[in-house]
Amino acid sequence: MKIRINVVKLMVAAGALALAGSAAAQSKGQLTVSVGANQLKPDVESGAITAPALPNSIGDVGKDTQPIAVITYGLTDNISVETAVGTPYKHKIFGAGAIAAGGELGSVKALPAIALLQYRFFEPNARFRPYVGLGVTYAMFQKETGSFRMTALTNPGAGVATTFKIDDKWTVSGQIGAQFNVNEKWFLNASYIKTKLRTDVHFSTNQTQHMKLDPDSFILSVGYKF
Amino acid sequence: MRKTSFALALLTAAVLTACGGTDPRPGNQTPQTKFTQQVAFGDSLSDVGSYAVGGVLAQGGGQYTINGDITSVNAELTGRNFTAVIAAQLGLPAPCAAQTGLNGTTSTNPALNFSVPVVMNANCFNYSQGGARVTNPVGPGNRLLAAANASVVLGATTVPVVTQVANHLAKAGGKFSGTELVIVTAGGNDVLEQLGELSAGATAEGGKALITSLVTQLAPTTPSATGAATIAAAAQAEAARSGSTAQTIIAAAIGAAAQLGNPSAVANAATIGATAGAAATAAGLKYSSDHGADVVKALGTAGAELAVLVKNQIVAKGANYVVVNNLPDVSIAPSVLAQSADTQKLVATMVATFNTQLKAGLGDDAKILYVDLATVSHDQSVNPGPYGLTNTKDTACVVNDVTKNPLSSSLVCTKNNLISGDVSHYMFADGVHPTPFEYALIARYILLQMSGKGWI
Repeated sequence: MKIRINVVKLMVAAGALALAGSAAAQSKGQLTVSVGANQLKPDVESGAITAPALPNSIGDVGKDTQPIAVITYGLTDNISVETAVGTPYKHKIFGAGAIAAGGELGSVKALPAIALLQYRFFEPNARFRPYVGLGVTYAMFQKETGSFRMTALTNPGAGVATTFKIDDKWTVSGQIGAQFNVNEKWFLNASYIKTKLRTDVHFSTNQTQHMKLDPDSFILSVGYKF
Repeated sequence: MRKTSFALALLTAAVLTACGGTDPRPGNQTPQTKFTQQVAFGDSLSDVGSYAVGGVLAQGGGQYTINGDITSVNAELTGRNFTAVIAAQLGLPAPCAAQTGLNGTTSTNPALNFSVPVVMNANCFNYSQGGARVTNPVGPGNRLLAAANASVVLGATTVPVVTQVANHLAKAGGKFSGTELVIVTAGGNDVLEQLGELSAGATAEGGKALITSLVTQLAPTTPSATGAATIAAAAQAEAARSGSTAQTIIAAAIGAAAQLGNPSAVANAATIGATAGAAATAAGLKYSSDHGADVVKALGTAGAELAVLVKNQIVAKGANYVVVNNLPDVSIAPSVLAQSADTQKLVATMVATFNTQLKAGLGDDAKILYVDLATVSHDQSVNPGPYGLTNTKDTACVVNDVTKNPLSSSLVCTKNNLISGDVSHYMFADGVHPTPFEYALIARYILLQMSGKGWI
């Protein structure tokens, strides 16, 4: 909760700074690419699966780490836009609450597409440049995969395997990060992105489940300025 | 150029997200354990057709639920109990009754002929029988419990669980293979039978007190040396007549006194009757409260006996996967809800005592899964919504009209004798037995616990 409030404050600050945006020494138009890893960890608050189910049949979603390439383009010396490409994140889905005994019930691949507008503090040639960002994310879910247990807990013995679909969502993300310039061309980058994500799971048994996923993303990367 | 690069990067992201073959999929549908067989011991809750012969079969019945696959009407009306659902989910053949037959009354009407020779079915391994108790061979529906002059008697064989297990061991060479799923479900008939005996005892005590009170009130004002004996004889004769009630017995006693010249008997009939009725009620209640502890104790014994049976005759004989369902909360069933608050409380205590002894006797054992159906069934009655239950108090089958249901039981409940309206999500088919929907909920709960045990 504390983190969330801080993120909101920072996002407001970022917006204010972006608007203030007084043109300092510009070297706009610089493209940087950094490569590293991103851990995507949902901060799950699960709703209960709708009837028929044991009361408080909720779920949990595991974390995953995948390689990532972060691409940043300087609009001005202080304002930049950023996106990232990477491989899909495979998240295991677990039973929780009344159905915790179910254990691992399935998995899903998540492919978030993100675009951020950033404000970078200090001069472009400063060794250490913290930044904040605000942007949009398109959370896409694919290859939702069920299991024997998922079928056993939802529609046993009918000869029909239970499948599920998670709604894709447009949403917002806030970011704080820092860039450490090793030399003229190379830098280290670390950032934390919080994404607000509420979605719905639709089971083939006509049951649904509302999920607050609000993923935390931790990125560490090594970059090069082109 | 640089702007082009950025656009290219965005395009790459877009292309990556648009890869094909991304639809939802079932995943691995194979359980962790490859069971070779399902073996079930128990009562009506797991019976898959021990009595599906003769008149029961002719009426389309055979299981203690809404019988028949009526999924064309409603997807929940599968006609299956939880053993069938679990077997199907595990990829095992549909369970069938190890023994079939009835010892009931003969009739030329095929729908009412309940005399069918008992047959052992060598390739069937569900030994559960409606009416079966843990060790006592006489349970509800047994011919020995029927009135001597009853015209329609089901004659359920009610082979107790202890004998069911012995029968399986005899058939399987004295041991379990170790790869079968064993399901044990018992205790309900011990509750019903004990409760029946308690109620019969209380009624008898009440009857005695009624007559004693009538004689005590009427004899002193009756001008006859043999007044007391004559009044008592009249009341007892009426009490012995089939169809008599407290009112008719009171009337008989007052009539006898009046005939002997009692001047005030008829005039004071209302007061005399009320006093006698109160004495009868008090005596019945006293009997119930004096003997309530006995029936609770009897259920504790039954629970302990079942635990010993599971450990010594099932697990010790080689079974590795034994599901032991505890006794659901019978006190919330429609047949018990129709009784007094004291009786409901007593039944709840009987159930709890049975389960406490069963659980304690089973202890912690990797080969035994104790499934707490009592807690779930109780929760369903107070919180039906999440379970998808629309009614937990009424019966889906017509059970109080012998023209529509000659056995007043779900054993012969089909689409032909359901109450009107949508009963697909009712909890109970009859006074104590679940609908197919409730059976499916039970199956899901057992499968959940089997997951927790790492069996599937």
